[in-house]
Amino acid sequence: MTAVWQVALITFKEGIKNRVIFGIFIIALLLFAATTVVITLFMRDIVKVAVDLSLSTVSFAGLLTLLFIGVNLFGKDLDKRTIYMVISRPVSRSQYLIGKFSGIVLLTFVVVAFLGILSAAPVILSKRFYYYPEARFDWWIFFIAIVYIFIKLVIVSSVITLFASFTSNSFIALVLSLVVYFIAQSTESVRFLIASQVERIEVSPILSYMVDIAYYVFPNMSAFDLKMQAAHGLKIGPDYFIWTILYAIFYIIATLAIGTLAFRRREFP
Amino acid sequence: MAIITFHGVTKVYKTGFRKKKVALKDFSLDIHEGEVFGFLGPNGAGKSTAIKILLNLIFPTAGKAEIMGRSVENKEVRRMVGYLPENPYFYDYLNPVELLIFAGKTSGMDSFKIKEKTEMLLNTVSLWNERKRPIRSYSKGMVQRVGLALALIHDPKVVILDEPMTGLDPIGRRQVIDLILKLKSEGRTIFFSSHILEDIERVCDRIGILVNGNLVRVIDIKSEQFTTSLENIFIEEVEKAGEVQQ
Repeated sequence: MTAVWQVALITFKEGIKNRVIFGIFIIALLLFAATTVVITLFMRDIVKVAVDLSLSTVSFAGLLTLLFIGVNLFGKDLDKRTIYMVISRPVSRSQYLIGKFSGIVLLTFVVVAFLGILSAAPVILSKRFYYYPEARFDWWIFFIAIVYIFIKLVIVSSVITLFASFTSNSFIALVLSLVVYFIAQSTESVRFLIASQVERIEVSPILSYMVDIAYYVFPNMSAFDLKMQAAHGLKIGPDYFIWTILYAIFYIIATLAIGTLAFRRREFP
Repeated sequence: MAIITFHGVTKVYKTGFRKKKVALKDFSLDIHEGEVFGFLGPNGAGKSTAIKILLNLIFPTAGKAEIMGRSVENKEVRRMVGYLPENPYFYDYLNPVELLIFAGKTSGMDSFKIKEKTEMLLNTVSLWNERKRPIRSYSKGMVQRVGLALALIHDPKVVILDEPMTGLDPIGRRQVIDLILKLKSEGRTIFFSSHILEDIERVCDRIGILVNGNLVRVIDIKSEQFTTSLENIFIEEVEKAGEVQQ
């Protein structure tokens, strides 16, 4: 455990000291500020808009952190051979990979926690100045939605770790991770659209089958998007908690297991 | 007693579709306890490949390598090994103290010992006053010296240095030579590669000349009588192997 924790710690320190993170924080702060301005343009549902935009900002900033710092933390190690410093110690390749993943998760946690607290500001402002008695809002659901953004980002971290374990450079890992993220965001909607046939679109069985495969292979990110529930103050049942968290744990473990297997025989010439 | 052993190690790299490059050919060598062994060879001779196999960074295609009688694939072996890579690159935003804490902790040292050794080593490599600066602000020579401190933090019995003089000014080179001589006096086994023949001649007990992945000659500096300089011997061996066209 010492080796994993030490790798996680230097990964976290290297990530948190990276100047890019300040840029991401500034973007997030500007978006929060913009939210407080934008909500004044709405006549109704101001709290809902504030909640939606605030949570989107946290999610977007977390994703930027992963794509620009997380991928780079792996990339530099492999491209510039910083990994020699780690692997030449009593640290196995599996410990390195898990440690690196844990460090990125720690970094994501700090970013989401910090921005999650700040994201409450536009919501508080909207409630204080533009409150409508019929608006349903629950801070607890808002908090759960932030936790779910974090879980979604941990899944993205595991996907980045998987790609970093076998790709030859960080750019490929970045592109593949982005592709997976966008597919994962939309598979549920596409599958629903095909199944419901609301638009009466003719879909070939092969396409339908491929969408089904994509739905099971790629992580279902929309399951972790609770913006709507938070904006409307909708209650989330215990079944939903249990199944989504079990799903996330299973997906993360499976992704890391495949990554570890691929990385175990990787050479660093 | 052999501390480092290569048993018929062959390493073949895939360089493209159906293209292969043999970096080491049936390479066998024993390096004994307390010995300073210098590895000489032209660029691409296979020196770094042999060193990387010892650190388990790459795997041999055939044969095996051992340190203190244990396979290099066993990660616990590396608790006794200190390694300085060629042109080392470390985490940009960390400072040398943070790197040394990482190196010490992963090698099983306690915090007190790490603190003590960090101060001692950073003073030895003249970086104590610069210890709070991030590595990204360091010169190439300073990075090389951080690498040396990292290789020695855990008092390794075996020290493996890949081109340790690269990027160092004459004072830095002198510091490294003095450090190797100090490690030698402490009874540590040192295996290093260098292009600087003068340095190799000064500190080594034995020298191995590697050409095109073949160990063509091992010279015992103490017992062999030379009629010519090491430089001439080296060029002669390389020519013999067909590396240099006259």
